[in-house]
Amino acid sequence: MQSINQEGYVKRLSCEISAAWAIAKKDMRIYYFKSNIIVAGILFPLFMFLAFAIGKNASPGTLIPGLISITLMFSSSQIEPVSIPMERRVKTFERLLSAPISLYSLVLGESLSGFVYSLGIACFPLVIGVILFSTPIVHATVLVISMIFTAFCFATLGTLFAAYPTENVGEVMSMLNTVRLPLIFISGVFLPISSMPQIGQKIALISPLTYGNDMIEYAYTGKSLFSPFMDIMMLMIFILIFQITANYLYKTFNE
Amino acid sequence: MQAIEVSHLIKKFGSLTAVNDISFSVGEGETFGFLGPNGAGKTTTIRILTGVSRPTSGTATIFGHDIKHDTINAQQSMGIVSENSNVYDDLTAWQNMLFSAELYHVGRNDREKKSTELLKKFELYERRNDKAHGFSKGMKRRLTLAMGLVNSPRLLFLDEPTSGLDVQSNLIIREVISDLILDGVTVFLTTHNIEEANVMCDRVAIINKGNIIAIDAPESLKNTFKGSQSIEVSFNQNSADHLDELSHLSMVNGVQKAGDKFKLYTEDPAEVIDAVAVYAHTHNLKIISITTLGPSLEDVFVKLTGLQRAGDGIHAID
Repeated sequence: MQSINQEGYVKRLSCEISAAWAIAKKDMRIYYFKSNIIVAGILFPLFMFLAFAIGKNASPGTLIPGLISITLMFSSSQIEPVSIPMERRVKTFERLLSAPISLYSLVLGESLSGFVYSLGIACFPLVIGVILFSTPIVHATVLVISMIFTAFCFATLGTLFAAYPTENVGEVMSMLNTVRLPLIFISGVFLPISSMPQIGQKIALISPLTYGNDMIEYAYTGKSLFSPFMDIMMLMIFILIFQITANYLYKTFNE
Repeated sequence: MQAIEVSHLIKKFGSLTAVNDISFSVGEGETFGFLGPNGAGKTTTIRILTGVSRPTSGTATIFGHDIKHDTINAQQSMGIVSENSNVYDDLTAWQNMLFSAELYHVGRNDREKKSTELLKKFELYERRNDKAHGFSKGMKRRLTLAMGLVNSPRLLFLDEPTSGLDVQSNLIIREVISDLILDGVTVFLTTHNIEEANVMCDRVAIINKGNIIAIDAPESLKNTFKGSQSIEVSFNQNSADHLDELSHLSMVNGVQKAGDKFKLYTEDPAEVIDAVAVYAHTHNLKIISITTLGPSLEDVFVKLTGLQRAGDGIHAID
């Protein structure tokens, strides 16, 4: 009997993962080449970066980790706040809600497309760093891991904000930017956390970007505020919180 | 086992009661019409039955699976065809079909086979590589229906399947639904068009303000409201001057002028046809056409609420 149950669970899990991946593929096909997604995913972090980098007394190569961090944050959290309100408007989101899949799979599937998109986009600053500025990477494996966790964390954050029951993309984006923009300033991207005032250092601890950026910084320089293990643990906690909250909100708002 | 079993279902949004203690069941293989005006509670009921929304209280089961506690198993046996033709405009017809199949866990081998079969049935196979963006309203509707059938559902929710469609799409959709009914698929049909329900449904329920006010076979329902039948007649001269005289004919309850026709409401169409023939003869008019019409949803609905207002105590016909 137990083996039958196990077989059932495995089959269920396989169905859920397959449906989540189908949702991700659908989003990739539809939204990856939308102009507003490309503009916000590539140009927005680039201009933010230039605004800080120009005039700063540092070689451009040393700013690459920061550029990768904010590119990951902006691009991974960009797809779902656009796609979900749009799909609510044309009622295709209802199709997902009535499909035989759990809300966890729906949230996972939606987040996956942002995650994959952002890993692709983040390759641009990575390659620019290597080719143009010969920025050395001390721990390549840590860099890959840090990019994966940071991208997934912010993709889930994007899906979480898209739970807000509106058909208006602007409404979700403005709420999301209210959170995303301050994170750039409090997470040690351009200003080291150690040089922040006491209150700033405490606030930095509740920003997921702090941990993502810290690990990326470690991958490039070998120096960091926390250990990579601690950074991964914190990012996993944020992913879990975002996933559970998103699941709760999608359920509540559909009541 | 019943396909759908609804018991004392209530859905409240704050102080608004959208669905007020409704109970009904739909047998396996039955075609059940769910009728009502906008805002009556139809969509809320369907959203609960399809697992999108949760009831405030009461229960609903789909083939024995509780929609609240065993949602995924209940949803697995359904096909849902929304009123909005909610296809993905930026995907091709083929990609739409495969996506729907993946969502409903159709096996890898069956996905393509089933998609091909359905696209051919709905006459969309030649356009399978075109994005739905360029499809007409009728083609999108056909694609929506094809997507709803990709998992070979035992229960199909159809929301306004033929509303506002071209003749070709209408015929194809009606034919496919007839085949499904013959194959024993349970159909839950939502429509504003009581005649469509009359043609397709074994039974219909009328819902208004969250309450089911009538459940019966279409013919029984219409017979109950004979007073809402009408004769539509067109003479060679259709001056509005005839309105007053026509309204005084025997057994005529009311007259309306609709374009080049007069609509005479009656409980006895046969007698009114005779009276209209005599009227035409005495006024030297030629009858161009004359048709007996059953009650529209609006006619039945107005009558139903009228009975309730009169305090007749008729809340359901069952």
